[in-house]
Amino acid sequence: MYSKKIHVKNATGLHARPAADFVAIAAKYDSNITLKRVDDEDLYNAKSIVMLLALGLENGEDAILSAEGADERDAVEALSDLIDSFTE
Amino acid sequence: MKLPGIPVSGGIVIGEVFRYEPFQAAPEISPIEKADVERNIEIYVEARSAARREMEEAQNRVMERAPDKAGILSAHMEILMDPVIDEEVRGMVCSDLLSADAAIASVFDKYSALLRKSKSASMRERASDLQDVKNRLLRCWAGVGERNLSSLEKPVIVVCDDLYPSDTVSIDRDNVLGIITQVGGTTSHTAIIARGYEIPAVLGVQDCMSLIRDGDTVVLDAENGEILLAPGDDEREAYAAKRESMSALSMEMRTWRGVEPVTRDGRRIWVGMNISGVSDYELAGAVCADGVGLFRTEFIYLGSDRIPDEDEQYRIYRKALDAFRGKPLIMRTLDIGGDKQLERFNLQSENNPFLGLRGLRLCFARPELFGAQIRAALRASAHGDLRLMLPMVSSLDEIQRAKEFIAEQGAKLDADGIAWNCCIKIGIMVEIPSIALIADLVAPYVDFVSIGTNDLCQYLNAADRLNPAVESCYQEYHPAMFRILGMIARGFAGADRTVGICGEIGGDPLAIPALLGLGIEKFSMCSASIAAAKRAICGLDMSDAVSLAQEVQQMKTESEVRARLQAFADNQPTLRGILEEGTSCIQKKFT
Repeated sequence: MYSKKIHVKNATGLHARPAADFVAIAAKYDSNITLKRVDDEDLYNAKSIVMLLALGLENGEDAILSAEGADERDAVEALSDLIDSFTE
Repeated sequence: MKLPGIPVSGGIVIGEVFRYEPFQAAPEISPIEKADVERNIEIYVEARSAARREMEEAQNRVMERAPDKAGILSAHMEILMDPVIDEEVRGMVCSDLLSADAAIASVFDKYSALLRKSKSASMRERASDLQDVKNRLLRCWAGVGERNLSSLEKPVIVVCDDLYPSDTVSIDRDNVLGIITQVGGTTSHTAIIARGYEIPAVLGVQDCMSLIRDGDTVVLDAENGEILLAPGDDEREAYAAKRESMSALSMEMRTWRGVEPVTRDGRRIWVGMNISGVSDYELAGAVCADGVGLFRTEFIYLGSDRIPDEDEQYRIYRKALDAFRGKPLIMRTLDIGGDKQLERFNLQSENNPFLGLRGLRLCFARPELFGAQIRAALRASAHGDLRLMLPMVSSLDEIQRAKEFIAEQGAKLDADGIAWNCCIKIGIMVEIPSIALIADLVAPYVDFVSIGTNDLCQYLNAADRLNPAVESCYQEYHPAMFRILGMIARGFAGADRTVGICGEIGGDPLAIPALLGLGIEKFSMCSASIAAAKRAICGLDMSDAVSLAQEVQQMKTESEVRARLQAFADNQPTLRGILEEGTSCIQKKFT
């Protein structure tokens, strides 16, 4: 398993368009990919738009992004780059 | 056979019927047999692909016309194809032996409930996207085709139980010849939109859904308020002839639209228009009007698939201001609640919605919604004469609270270095009797007032304006109406505040003389009523109007008032002409 801490810094947080872009990239990888809040145990399937919406990461929040599978490292790096590219 | 109804938007049309019945899902409650699991999964998979095909087709259709709608469809597609939802639905069918439609309903409802609890407003709005997708999927499961009014194949007369605001806003205007509904009266949203679009409409037609079939040819006569089923050849000809002569008359009326409304003794009266959006169609009348007396901003919320954000609203208000080029534009802040748009705004249903959390009350309860609208409006105010009007005000406390809220939003813009007009005029709608009765006391705290006669009438008469059963109690010509209107006019005139009227009665040629006589000199109405109203004003003497107003305030019943107004009109050649012609521009009063 490969994990990385991400920091959401766009004004609207991780929903609407950014969440949809996130899911679209996540779907390209075979690994199981999850997101969770730093202080919370609940895992959210990162390939599911509905789960991302339910997680509802706001501007300024940190989260742990993890992947498990053959392409786990590529998946986490690509998604964390995407999060970093969201700026408003 | 003829069916009577309430004519709310004039005209006569003959055409084929399109029955509009939104799909109502009824998921199977009882558990399924183990043997049926596979079959349920199969139908579910088929329904999911059918829903996907529909969305793809719709996306191709709207891509060019409305790219923003295409974006919404792709968001819906992502929800439809969501792996977690898919897994849970299959799980409930296989392990819990739920029928697949019940599983779909249960999973989607679970996640919409979760989103509704979110702190963020934009997340809560996504709950209605989930509901949209759920309904589509359940409809596909039931094998029912898609039906809506936004893309019709041919010109039709729409027959339905009732229309939702979102239906009326997205309606395919070129192909809707007329509207017939089972419920709804002269002041329902359907009536207002039908008049705005000049679509002939007869509402409150009892049993129309059981008596009229898809594809039937009917005559919709919104001049006399009746529907003729299965018309014979000679009946068709007679109606076609009547239709011809009416359209010639309405051409003549149109020339009155551009006239300056001045009474015979030289009083210039302000005649503005009511708008519900900023389509070219809505704004076409701008040159004939002195401005906008009422911009019903709730329709920009109801018309789109999601709540427009601050920037979108700013662009809408700018567009309206640009169309009216420096003329005043009064926008009424969000006035929802009281009818059916509960789902989108995630509102609780109430026993007495018209007496509940609506208008300004709702805005105070949802400051994020109100704040976005106010900031968008203030930003637009730097570019024209935009004025803010607060709906559903019942006390001075609310006026002060709203003004503080507006000032706070202005301060936020200042902090961000964004320009706005800090002298923006703030006024109120007078539609609740409690504020009408203290008009003189609140006058110093507002810049202007406009009387919303539709709601004022329903609150004064305690008669729900959407309930056909009490239509006869909803008396717009009740002597009490004229008394309270006079009281409001005097109260505000004393403090030198202008008093306007923006309810349907403001565009009614029969009522205009008495309203003028009461001291109301600003009228705002749907653009279709402007010609007749201006013509009525130009034929009047203020002194006659004042004595007429005195008389009606002393009368005891609505029928006395009506008879007096009619007699007054009969003695005025211009007014008599307008009422006799009964052109399609004039809203018919039902006696």
